[in-house]
Amino acid sequence: MRAWKAAALLNLALLLGVGWGYVFWGARTARLEQELRAARGAAAAGVERLWQVAGVVRAIVPEINVLVITHEDIPGYMPAMTMGFRASAPKIHEAVAVGDAVRFTLQGVPPNVVITAIEKTR
Amino acid sequence: MIALEVLVRWAHLALSVLLVGTAVSILLAGRSDRPTALGWETRMLDACRGLVVLAFAAGVAVLLLQTALLEGRRAAALDPGALRRVLLETRGGHVWLVRHGLLLLLAAFLAVPLDVRRRVDWRAARGETALLGLAALGAGAAAGHAAALPGALAAIATDTVHVLAAGAWVGGLLPLALLLRRAGRAEGADARPLAVLAARRFSRLALACVLALVASGSVIAWAQVGSVAGLVGTAYGRLLLGKLALLAPILALAALNRRRHLPALGGEALRVGRPAMRRLARFVAGEAALALAVLGLAATMGFTPPAAHAEPDWPFAFRLSLETLADAPARAARALVGSQVLVLGAVAALAALVVRRARWPLLGGALVVLGAGAAIALPPLAIDAYPTTYVRPAVPYQAASIVAGAARYREHCAVCHGPTGAGDGPGGLRLARPPADLRAPHTGQHTAGDLFWWITRGIPRAGMPAFGATLAAEERWDVINYVRALSAAHAARNMGPTVEPDRAWLVAPDFAYAVGPTPARTLKDYRGRRVVLLTLYALPGSRPRLAQLADLYGSLTALGAEVVAVPTDAAPDALRRLGAAPRILFPVVTEGAADIVAAYRMLAAAPHAELLIDRQGYVRAIGRGAGLAAAEPNALLAEIQELNAEKVPAPAPEEHVH
Ligand code: HEC
Repeated sequence: MRAWKAAALLNLALLLGVGWGYVFWGARTARLEQELRAARGAAAAGVERLWQVAGVVRAIVPEINVLVITHEDIPGYMPAMTMGFRASAPKIHEAVAVGDAVRFTLQGVPPNVVITAIEKTR
Repeated sequence: MIALEVLVRWAHLALSVLLVGTAVSILLAGRSDRPTALGWETRMLDACRGLVVLAFAAGVAVLLLQTALLEGRRAAALDPGALRRVLLETRGGHVWLVRHGLLLLLAAFLAVPLDVRRRVDWRAARGETALLGLAALGAGAAAGHAAALPGALAAIATDTVHVLAAGAWVGGLLPLALLLRRAGRAEGADARPLAVLAARRFSRLALACVLALVASGSVIAWAQVGSVAGLVGTAYGRLLLGKLALLAPILALAALNRRRHLPALGGEALRVGRPAMRRLARFVAGEAALALAVLGLAATMGFTPPAAHAEPDWPFAFRLSLETLADAPARAARALVGSQVLVLGAVAALAALVVRRARWPLLGGALVVLGAGAAIALPPLAIDAYPTTYVRPAVPYQAASIVAGAARYREHCAVCHGPTGAGDGPGGLRLARPPADLRAPHTGQHTAGDLFWWITRGIPRAGMPAFGATLAAEERWDVINYVRALSAAHAARNMGPTVEPDRAWLVAPDFAYAVGPTPARTLKDYRGRRVVLLTLYALPGSRPRLAQLADLYGSLTALGAEVVAVPTDAAPDALRRLGAAPRILFPVVTEGAADIVAAYRMLAAAPHAELLIDRQGYVRAIGRGAGLAAAEPNALLAEIQELNAEKVPAPAPEEHVH
């Protein structure tokens, strides 16, 4: 075989190898991303969820039936933060006062979730 | 084990470099059909075949050794499972696979007999050899120290340039010497024109390679060493110095060859050229031998932690520092005079390079003047230094460490240095020299490593005892953090509630806290994101101000500020005590308050205090007293806007004190 052809073939093979590697990794990341998106989609797409969350009551706004709570991580929904949640019934907040450490049940289809139960822990 | 690792890595690097250099020098010499030249080319191709095999074998040895080291047991080197893990799951393994795949390809390519009678074919075949060799050598940079740097891609590219330039230059020396030797023999006359041509071309390539090496080497050294202490105080830095020391004679030889021996080849080929050619061959071979030693150092540096990540061990009893001139006009004047003399010497040296006549006397004079300048300028800059001078504190500058240090300080140091560090303790009265005022700028000019040395070893001639045996190393660092906080507090005593634009100097000690059941956060989490108004409060006095802050909270958040309120009594039920009205929604610390209060009270000793901390982590303003509530509430928003408007933020402070 002519040497230049051999060299050209070799380089072509190398280029193909690099290209294949690039495409392979690209496809892999694309697949992973797709799976991630699918998983997120399932979480978002109207499935009812339920969490038990620990927190501290920071404020109570009875007029609009809202409790503001500094809470821990809510897995799959939101990180730890201070945030207002609506209660499912008007009487629910009466069991607790500002500054109480609490454990509460959060239920609903995100982002429409409500507190269905709350109790003092200390 | 280390000797073995050095040997194996050096062998692998040297063989790969020789392979690249041989392939490149064949290409450089060009095609020739003279018997001697053909003989050389055949020999060099044979050498390439041997080198590929040897480089591959050495590479396998490196892999086995690396596996044994990573797994922490010798037997792992021959354990297929361990080898597969290293190859498939580490970055080094991936790079190894790519490089050795390329070497295998090259071996196969060299094994195939190719018809190279035509010029294109010759070029394609030899070019391909060089290309595969260069690729296999250069790819190694992707697994070196560079890959660990931020902005790895540029660092890897720089490393690649460095190693390829080294390969083409250093590796080509030996083949060139062989060609020159063959052509220098009586029966090698037919190859002499080729040898002369090759030597000229090589000389040009070598110059380009040396320039590339110096440029890329400087960039790499800056990133991996970065300081004088790193250069003279760490294994990596010392290896680099050794490399430079070996490089100097190589460059001198190269310059000699380029300016003396190469032009001498220009004579009539038959007679004048021969001795000159043989001399050049000898000198080039000498260069090659030194260069192989440099490769040994380079291979060792490859697995030595970069200086920037090692603790330097300062070898001298002094260091130079401009800070010594701060309030010493006489020393400053002397340093200034000396620096002018140095400039004069530098000008003379430059002139010696440019002017031809009287070059040597001029250069001698320049050296004398430079020496004199250094003798005048440097002594005033010298300041005592110790082996630990540049060691980084093992404990970061954090509230918890300061508090622990304060306890140790009260226990061991306050007798002499006084409760506030002013040097007025009762224990100092009977001493020959009064204990130092630890808040004075003098102490501030010394590095944390200096303090560590003094506290560990004591200062015998002044009566300062040693604590190396009484306090654990971490406790000593705690004390140092406390001493730094003492002088920071002293300097901050006049800081007021208004921000001084573009003057960030007071580092806010980091701290960790939690609100209720939420995961712990740190002040540092706000770096680059939020301005923090750290509010130390005491009920009931602080209530009106807290109500005002609660009111303002919406505007504060909109301006990118967060309020972190810390009860000075560190009550765990602080939230309940604050009660339902007003509605306070900013974080109120329920865990970690005690340390925060103890550390920050040093900066602001009022029952109610507010510290405005900018996005880089500097305290920029301190408000004291609950009377702040009486002030115009918008004043606070204005201060924060002032911070938001700052164009060139100060660099974020380091985690550790200096
Ligand atoms: C017996 C009294 C004594 C005790 C106890 C003592 N020191 Fe000292 N310290 C001294 C004296 C005296 C000096 C020297 C002042 C001089 O060099 O002029 C000194 C100097 C220092 C310096 C050097 C300051 C400078 O700028 O030169 C530091 C830092 C220091 N001490 C820290 C400490 C720490 C930290 C402790 C406690 C762990 C401590 N000392 C305990 C007496 C004491």
